[in-house]
Amino acid sequence: MPVSNSDLSSSKGRKDSRSSVTRRTFLKVSALTGVAVAASRIIKYPEISPIASAQASTEGVITEKWINTSCLNCPARCATQVRVVNGKAVKISGNPLSEVSEGEICPRGHIGLQVLYDPGRVSGPLKRTNPLKGRGVDPDWTPISWSQALSEVSARLKSLRDKAQPHKLLLLHGLNTISNEDMIHRFADAYGTPNVISGDALENEAEKSGRWMADGNYNHVAYDFGQTNYLLAFGASIIESEKPLARNLRMWGKIRRERPIRAKVVVIDPRYSVTAAKADQWIPINPGTDSALAMAIASVIISEGLYDAEFIRNWTSGFDEYKELALNYYSPEKMATVTGIDADITRQIAREFAQTKPAIAWIGRGVAGWPNGSYNSYAIFCLNALVGNIDAPGGVIYQEDPKYRDMPKPVEDDAAKEGKAKPRLDFRQTNLFPSAEVVTNQVADSILNDAPYSVEMAIGFNSNFNMSAPGTWRWDEALKKVPYYVHIAPFISEMAEYADIILPASTFLEEWAYDHSPPGSGFAEAKLKQPVVEPLHDTRGITDIIFEIAGRLGGTAAQSFDGIGGDAQGFVRYRTGTIVTWQEFRETGVWAGPAYQYHKYDRIFNTPSEKFEFYSGNLERVLKKTGKVDGRLACLPHYEEAAFLGDRGSYPLVLSTYQPLLNVENGNQNYPWAQEIFLVMHGVGWINFVEINSKTARFLGIRDGDTVWVESPFNRIKVRARVIEGIHPQVVSMANGQGHYADGRWQQSIGVNPNEIIGVSYDQLSGQSSLFNTRVKVYRV
Amino acid sequence: MVAILGVMVVVMATSYLVAYLKGLQVWGISNAVPWGQLITLDIYFIGLSAGAIVVSGLCYVLRREEYKPIGRIAVFMGLLIFTGAMVCVLVDLGRPEKFWRLFMYGYLNNMTSMFAINSIWYGGYILLMLLYLWLAIENKTRLAMIVGTIDVLWAIGVHSFTGAIFGLIGTREILFSPIKPFEFIAAALTSGTALLILVVVVAFKFSKRYIDKKVILSLGRLLSIIIIVLLVMVFFDKLTHIYFPHRAGAVFLFTGHYWWLFWCFQIGMGLIIPLIILFHPKAGKSVKGVVIASISVVIGVLGERAALVVPGTAQVQQLYPGTIEGVWGAAGVFPITLWETALALGIVALVALLFVLGLKYLELLPATEVAEVSEAPEVSETSEGAEASAPAVEAEG
Amino acid sequence: MAKWGMIIDLDKCVGCQACTVACKEENNVPHGSPQEQRRRREIYWNRVIAVSEGEYPTVRVEFIPIPCMHCENAPCVTVCPAKATYHRDDGIVVQDFRRCIGCRYCIVACPYGVRSFNFKDQQEEEYHRPDLPPTRADRGPWPFPQRIRGVVEKCTFCFHRIDQGLKEDKKIGIDVVPACVEACPTKARIFGDLDDPDSEVSRLLATRGGFRLREELSTHPKVFYLHG
Repeated sequence: MPVSNSDLSSSKGRKDSRSSVTRRTFLKVSALTGVAVAASRIIKYPEISPIASAQASTEGVITEKWINTSCLNCPARCATQVRVVNGKAVKISGNPLSEVSEGEICPRGHIGLQVLYDPGRVSGPLKRTNPLKGRGVDPDWTPISWSQALSEVSARLKSLRDKAQPHKLLLLHGLNTISNEDMIHRFADAYGTPNVISGDALENEAEKSGRWMADGNYNHVAYDFGQTNYLLAFGASIIESEKPLARNLRMWGKIRRERPIRAKVVVIDPRYSVTAAKADQWIPINPGTDSALAMAIASVIISEGLYDAEFIRNWTSGFDEYKELALNYYSPEKMATVTGIDADITRQIAREFAQTKPAIAWIGRGVAGWPNGSYNSYAIFCLNALVGNIDAPGGVIYQEDPKYRDMPKPVEDDAAKEGKAKPRLDFRQTNLFPSAEVVTNQVADSILNDAPYSVEMAIGFNSNFNMSAPGTWRWDEALKKVPYYVHIAPFISEMAEYADIILPASTFLEEWAYDHSPPGSGFAEAKLKQPVVEPLHDTRGITDIIFEIAGRLGGTAAQSFDGIGGDAQGFVRYRTGTIVTWQEFRETGVWAGPAYQYHKYDRIFNTPSEKFEFYSGNLERVLKKTGKVDGRLACLPHYEEAAFLGDRGSYPLVLSTYQPLLNVENGNQNYPWAQEIFLVMHGVGWINFVEINSKTARFLGIRDGDTVWVESPFNRIKVRARVIEGIHPQVVSMANGQGHYADGRWQQSIGVNPNEIIGVSYDQLSGQSSLFNTRVKVYRV
Repeated sequence: MVAILGVMVVVMATSYLVAYLKGLQVWGISNAVPWGQLITLDIYFIGLSAGAIVVSGLCYVLRREEYKPIGRIAVFMGLLIFTGAMVCVLVDLGRPEKFWRLFMYGYLNNMTSMFAINSIWYGGYILLMLLYLWLAIENKTRLAMIVGTIDVLWAIGVHSFTGAIFGLIGTREILFSPIKPFEFIAAALTSGTALLILVVVVAFKFSKRYIDKKVILSLGRLLSIIIIVLLVMVFFDKLTHIYFPHRAGAVFLFTGHYWWLFWCFQIGMGLIIPLIILFHPKAGKSVKGVVIASISVVIGVLGERAALVVPGTAQVQQLYPGTIEGVWGAAGVFPITLWETALALGIVALVALLFVLGLKYLELLPATEVAEVSEAPEVSETSEGAEASAPAVEAEG
Repeated sequence: MAKWGMIIDLDKCVGCQACTVACKEENNVPHGSPQEQRRRREIYWNRVIAVSEGEYPTVRVEFIPIPCMHCENAPCVTVCPAKATYHRDDGIVVQDFRRCIGCRYCIVACPYGVRSFNFKDQQEEEYHRPDLPPTRADRGPWPFPQRIRGVVEKCTFCFHRIDQGLKEDKKIGIDVVPACVEACPTKARIFGDLDDPDSEVSRLLATRGGFRLREELSTHPKVFYLHG
């Protein structure tokens, strides 16, 4: 086809303009690129603080900072440092300024990154559209705005108050920061409900009440672990689950290899735990008989005159009765059939315990979670007094906590006063549970029985009792029954599935808070939590949420929250203002109290005799009120045969549970780093088993890896069997932390939850749920 | 036939694409058993290609004229199979686009590695075989003889160093042995000869060419001798490994969950059954018997390669005395997966396809067709058959 | 030139696995999944194994952390055809991702099972780490910011920390240690120069005497264990 001149010229012209445009664009683009590249090389400000460990900065780094905060993947709340690059948290390590943990953290600390960046987090408030509630029922969440959510929640709270029924509000809280807990309690006070229920009674409340019987302090025992020379661990897996764990790990290294004297560790546990594996001696004991052993040890110490006579004489009361009891009823030979431990061994450890100074008898979760848990704890605690190790270096010490600024009393109107005067849902400090501070598991039954009254509304703060409480089926029914439930947490747990509204909370790496570790260090240490990144989603800190709701409620509720800081950051600043300056606190992340003073015998005993009591005056007072005092024995440390659930004939084995270290205790296990190495003793992850003694397994015809039913009188679950040597022949054990069925790619349908078959019984004194007294039978599928 | 193979080759290409794009997670390999079907096929093919050497050796080194008719087909088969082996290696690499690094001698290559050394052996081998094939087709007999001899000697290097890939790895007890290179030569010769027998019988039958029964039977006798040599080597290798006190590897091989690869395939089908057949007075002297023995050897040696690759690496490494718990103490498992099997079969199909095409379009077979097909009774072992083939050879010579 | 080595005190190690997690965190090592663990495809640069012996009630379980041994006679270095794994002057066995062709010969040769193959790509969104050197992805001795499938990886003794520390005149083994050593809460892991008689590692070896895994293979690992 002939090409005309005009064609040529026009096409040429077009071509010229096209190419010139192209050239220009090319030059522009390359110039910009050049500038950008040059700029990125110049504009690079790594701000590495002197505390940071050396990690190379690269061209990709535009901003880098280290922020001091603390962890909340378990109740230990260890101080941490988080490295944030370009606004993304990339590494967590310990804060070397913390003297509690001496700058160490356990693996869960690092897993905080996966908690923060968990893809399963809730990104905004949700409202339930499916009125049906139940396990496996899809709530059909629809996203709503914060103002919608908060106004709906406040409206319901208001209406409950207007009906003069504020006591029918139930506040449940699981693992939260101390400042959030303080806020929750204040809200309950201002609102007018006595029903603030923590998960403590699923842990080791019996330890608290046991030692309270002796010295009047209703608190976990703190042990001066780093200075001890002998450790008798009763049911305590100190380097696996006892808190504060990071401190325990550091101190373990110290007492085993970093001092001239190496501490000896003896572990008494039906299960060969991680601690037993690292200890010098493992003594398998018949389940539930720890107080028998403790009393037998006491009888040896007393009969051989190895006790600290001076301490006993000056600072204890009731020793004579205790001595009579121990010597007459608890000889090692008599107790050998009860505990399954040879008298020789009992004598050996008793002598070593008494003659190695200083020594600790450690009360573990394994002895507290029994119907006789308080007495177990009391008997073991008394051993420490017997050898004079109360408030002594390397012995039992008395934890000091930071003295935050006192808040003004909440403003109470009549509704609040009346509400708080009503009986509590958990029947604590009634005849049922005379010395209990909280009876977590009772609440489910109270809701189901409408006793002492029905529950109209509940709010859960990071709670997940549908997984963590024994007898989970009751919580499922109870949550179904509660007319309106609000769940406040960063993710949707099993309990959250019953919520009508979900208010997404920020994770501990995105909020302001103050914290202090559970007893262990002796000296006080306050830890700051400050946001390391801007909240990733449309979430708010729990303190901020409570401020909001209180504000919306107006009246005395709102007034109670005036003048304490206004928001989360302000609240933290307000409360810690008396102990540390804000600037210093933000820079260091920790504040430590004065050094620990020992031998404060004139101050530490809150007992009628103002001494350590082998005969508990405190308990006598409480029992007198209930009218249930039959004889002196009830107030002395003694062994009671544990009441098992299920008869021995049909259910020959005893089910025990344990917390592996990688069980992230925030109610979620959706963290691959934790899951893939979950059970170090068994070299596997992504699973839990029922662990059976090899002889027992052979007798039952079960081989390693078989799928079996574990059946209790209440329920049964299907699980893989793991045949091992390290467990008592009559005990089977299962790791906690698996069996999640809520959403979560890395946790759903992995393993089983033993709480689904554990029955409901309590240590009546403390309200502690019994965790280890359910009998089961195991058979192949 | 071509169509079926063609389809399989397409399947192979697809499976490779899947593996390349998704990563080798679609295969059965793992960190416990890092080599799987592809490497098994690779060393198997390398062994099978030795059939070519056998014939070259017989024809040109030992000057046995009766093997001439199968000379070309043998070399062509050897070449194709060896190329197939190279395809297997290339395809097995995690990053195949970097394969050129295997040839960066002295600069980016580590010559202590058997893979690097073998790149020289394999490369040279392919070139030699190509040269030899070309010479054979062009009927340059004298040069072909020289190249053939070099080929045979070079082949010793190829097979022994392939064996060295495994035999020199100290940490894997089942693999570690100075006899491995020799075992590999022997296994190559047995499987190569066996495959040669099968291919010759089948190809000559289908193309209606005549092959002297004596050729097959003598190959069969050669096969039986080499099998005995291999048996002796395997016996002493395993005896050394099971002797006191260090015997965990051999115990795992004999009684672990891959015991059947060793006993049923390597020993049973690869050694015992063929020997029984070949030394049987009647069966050993019939083409049918030899063919069945060859089939057994071919399958058996594949099993032997697998018994090397899979249990060899699946055995638990005893890092510390005691029972290692969980995942770290469990023997490796190698599942058969779809994409890996499709790829392996596809490569086999590719080789077969090329072979069939080669038979069609290249002058590999003796020129004349004969009405009756080879499986005639002893009677046909007469001058008729010999005369029929002789002119053809002379005409071309 | 220094000769970097590590000591792991099996008496102090409590099997907490902080080292395993901290290493993954530091080096952006991909996490696994139930299927991958079953199929033995999970990637670990450091792992803690449990070794058991005995019968009830005289049971014994020992926890043994296992990083790359950085052997002096490394079998992996001998068998790598592409020189993708080689000794640095300071004794660290480096894995160069640019050179690795993914043949997995090193995994076959390694007596300690410390090498892992990337069977799939690491998901970009989860793991983008601009802070890890260098910025180019699959080239050179770094698998980050984004890992690519088809190459082998293993523990590096955190040489990025060591190199940076040397540049800043810090004391390696005291101020600067690999992530696993830093993370160990019982301080069971010690790092330092084996050629320096004053270093902690040399001192500990002299006073307590260490052993190495699979000594009979003469790989001369540079990770020593102190008896539990």
